Amino acid sequence: MKQDLLNVAVIIKLEPDFSEGNVSYNSDGTLNRAETKNILGPHSAVACNAAFYCKVRYGAHVSVGTMGPPIAESALKQAQILSDAEELNLYSDRMFAGADTLATAEVLKNGVEKMFGGNKSDIVFSGHRASDGETGQTGPQTAWKLGYTFLGNVIDFEIDLDRKAVVAKRMISLQGMDTIIEEIESPLPVFITIDPSYKSNFNTVSQRLTANNFGKEARKHSESSGQYLKVYDGKKLELDPRMVGLPGSPTIVYKVEKIPRAKANRKAEIVDPSNPDNLAQVTEKITEISRG
Amino acid sequence: MEQFDVAIIGGGSAGLSALKKLSDLNKSAILIEAGNGIGTKNVSGGILYSKNDSQGKIYNVEDVFGSDFSANAPVERLIKRYLLHATSKNKIFTIDMTRLHDYKTNFAYSVLLNRLTPWFAELATESAERHGGGIVTGVHVSDIQWIDNKTIVSTNELEEFEVKSIIAADGINSEVAQITSARGKFTPEEVYFGVKVIIKLPEKIIEERFHLDSSEGSAHLFAGDVTLNHIGGGFLYTNRETLSLGAVYHYNSLLSNPVTPTQLIDELIKNPLISEYIKDEVTLRNGNDGLSKEDQLKIHLGVSKLLKTYNELRDKYFSSNNTKLVESGKFKNLDEVKSKIDSIKHDLNEKFGIQFVNNYVELEYSAKLIPDGKRCMMKRPYFKNILFIGDAAGRGIFIGPKIEGLNVGIDDAVRASIAISRSIESNNFDSDYLGNYYESLVNESPYTREMNSIDENYLNLFLESVEDIPMGVIDPSLSFGLQFIKNKFLRGICLRLANSFGSRRVLPLIESEKTYVQIPIRLANKLGDTVHSTFVPSIPTLADRIANLQYDDDSESHIIVNNKKSEFMRKLILLCPTKCYSLEGNDVVLQHEGCVECGSCSIGTIWKHPKGEKGIKYRYG
Ligand SMILES: Cc1cc2nc3c(=O)[nH]c(=O)nc-3n(C[C@H](O)[C@H](O)[C@H](O)COP(=O)(O)OP(=O)(O)OC[C@H]3O[C@@H](n4cnc5c(N)ncnc54)[C@H](O)[C@@H]3O)c2cc1C
Ligand code: SF4
Repeated sequence: MKQDLLNVAVIIKLEPDFSEGNVSYNSDGTLNRAETKNILGPHSAVACNAAFYCKVRYGAHVSVGTMGPPIAESALKQAQILSDAEELNLYSDRMFAGADTLATAEVLKNGVEKMFGGNKSDIVFSGHRASDGETGQTGPQTAWKLGYTFLGNVIDFEIDLDRKAVVAKRMISLQGMDTIIEEIESPLPVFITIDPSYKSNFNTVSQRLTANNFGKEARKHSESSGQYLKVYDGKKLELDPRMVGLPGSPTIVYKVEKIPRAKANRKAEIVDPSNPDNLAQVTEKITEISRG
Repeated sequence: MEQFDVAIIGGGSAGLSALKKLSDLNKSAILIEAGNGIGTKNVSGGILYSKNDSQGKIYNVEDVFGSDFSANAPVERLIKRYLLHATSKNKIFTIDMTRLHDYKTNFAYSVLLNRLTPWFAELATESAERHGGGIVTGVHVSDIQWIDNKTIVSTNELEEFEVKSIIAADGINSEVAQITSARGKFTPEEVYFGVKVIIKLPEKIIEERFHLDSSEGSAHLFAGDVTLNHIGGGFLYTNRETLSLGAVYHYNSLLSNPVTPTQLIDELIKNPLISEYIKDEVTLRNGNDGLSKEDQLKIHLGVSKLLKTYNELRDKYFSSNNTKLVESGKFKNLDEVKSKIDSIKHDLNEKFGIQFVNNYVELEYSAKLIPDGKRCMMKRPYFKNILFIGDAAGRGIFIGPKIEGLNVGIDDAVRASIAISRSIESNNFDSDYLGNYYESLVNESPYTREMNSIDENYLNLFLESVEDIPMGVIDPSLSFGLQFIKNKFLRGICLRLANSFGSRRVLPLIESEKTYVQIPIRLANKLGDTVHSTFVPSIPTLADRIANLQYDDDSESHIIVNNKKSEFMRKLILLCPTKCYSLEGNDVVLQHEGCVECGSCSIGTIWKHPKGEKGIKYRYG
């Protein structure tokens, strides 16, 4: 692996597919994980797009990693189609089971450090959060463990290869305040969680052509994704069993509550539209309301 | 600023052929297409022809995309039979025009452009990449300027770039033509309007119903009362597992007698011969109004899954590779598949009250203008260092039952590529050098001759196809003329005279309501067979048809109405295929969101294609 190139790592997650027709629920309304199709999480997909952008614009090397059961290999394959990664890494071990975000971050940290033949990653991308009940802490915790500068909610970025720095735009929305876009510069290495609204901006013909080429190459590579796959267990990752899985998880899930359905504070009246008389009623109501 | 030798604007069949040919001539070219992916903006009937002509070279699809085109391309069916049906209510008189169709034809395939053009793009990209070129989609060219001898292309999405030459392949509503004033907008007299629906029908049913061998197809044309008194007619082409049913009418004739495009399509569907052609067994869900919400949901979910299984299995059973079902080991033989289908059908009916009725299934509604080359082809198809090809140059053959645009665009593309390649080699892009040479190449094309004059041999074949029809049946006022034309010697003199005056002058005689409407009705009434339909098709409303289309809406309209009170725009209230125009007080107002970019309103508006990736996204085309 060349040292002077930009090394971009992506950490991704296999998630249940919540789109219509693919989710199964148990009779009590909870998710039936066995019956529900799994896909590369939508937030992870955006992180892959950001890595692909680095590949097209800066000729970056891309390595993707995920912690999960062996079926997570399918998510890695999908991630390769999006990012044209040269390395796919699966961190899989029974001892990782029951991990909270901190224990997960421990696995990912060691995983990232093993990427690129042990060379340092310049940027690590992760999704904003996962859609199946994750709290958005894995990213920041991994960054902290790696000792990288953390940039969250990034909607756009450019890299200055000479100065080894990133200029990023962050979207900050806080309740009750105006949404602001903050532009910041940071030296590499950085850990970036990418905002769902991020869109790769290839704005010259050559960039588009290069993107097409890499895209095609990625689809071809993914057909033999197994060739790019490295599987790591706890031992290979040189993990301390006390720091991972259930023992490494300080979080205790005390109780899971269903979100109570919000009470509707609007009243609806159903009107049969085939009867014109009813429509007169509607007009009357609207006039009444608009008069106040 | 980035620089390129050639930019091809528009990735329809013509533009893609140009990219392939230029790359094969070892030149580097880029192609810019506005649609979100290749094939999403293109509409055809369509039959793709490969032709020959003893008097000149024709560049065919197989010359561009390889001699193994027939074996490899995702074409639909090889057209073997070509029939013209004269209609009057339930009377149909059919004339076999296969010999006319075979005239100068190497082969003809029915095609769906969103299947075929992505394949063109794949091959063209492969060649283009070898020379540093390629295809960029989702980018809309908005301007071209000449500054200090440099040609600069602007788009809505990318940074400006410089080129040495341009091929304008941006279709009938060419913005390049408007930006450069290379030609005016086409007038209603110069174009035809086409509207089409794709109908689903299983492969084996198509073959059985139309008496076809596997992978063979037939083409059916319709004239008579189905035209609702317009100049033009209907067509039905068999695809592999769909049918293309459409209508093409002279735009002037629609303006003088406006009806909605859906009426034109619906009239065809209601014709008993056509409704029998498109008929399929479809499922009808029963309302479960009496049940609780929860029970309704349970039934809905249960039925959905079973219906999906039923439809998938049925489609596979009626497909040409149905033996795969047996090979996979799931079934012992095809009879077992059939019993499985019947048993699911039984369950659907018994448990969920699903009914199985005769109807038909529409998959896509589309519309587009078509240039009538003999009326509107550009005499000088270039401007500075820009060469116009295909629909953008107004080139297409439209004579009687003949609609040929795809093959003409491919022939143009090769000629433009040869001209540009020569310019690159001598680094001379002056219009005297590049444009004049392209014009001379285009004038050598047998297609140009066909657009300029009436081909006596073609007319002979046409008359032979109808020679058994007793003249007395035809309108008495025409029968004298026809007798005259039937005489070979007199016909020769007439044609030479007509061609020397310019065939355009005699067009109103040939293309009239008499020939497209009245004579066919008389033929059907006097000589036709009676056809009965076994069901009444339930035709989707326009709202249903639009709801079935895919769009990426732009908040900003790509069309601006010039004169909101003009007579022309008032007619668009009926003629716009997706009812984008309505009357507000005395003004005609536009709601652009449903626009399918047909171009019918272009002459009365400032008309642009939507920005990159925006607007209609056809799945079949
Ligand atoms: C109903 C119907 C039936 C027909 N039947 C037949 C038939 O049976 N046989 C036959 O040979 N022909 C038939 N034709 C004609 C044939 O379909 C056309 O001649 C042919 O498709 C035209 O190809 P083209 O590449 O010139 O243009 P198009 O297919 O229109 O391609 C133009 C492309 O340019 C792109 N574009 C436009 N402006 C811009 C811009 N500013 N920037 C970037 N991209 C842009 C568009 O998105 C589009 O993809 C039929 C046409 C219709 C409508
Ligand atoms: S608005 Fe114009 S271009 Fe769009 S569908 Fe209607 S007539 Fe065609």
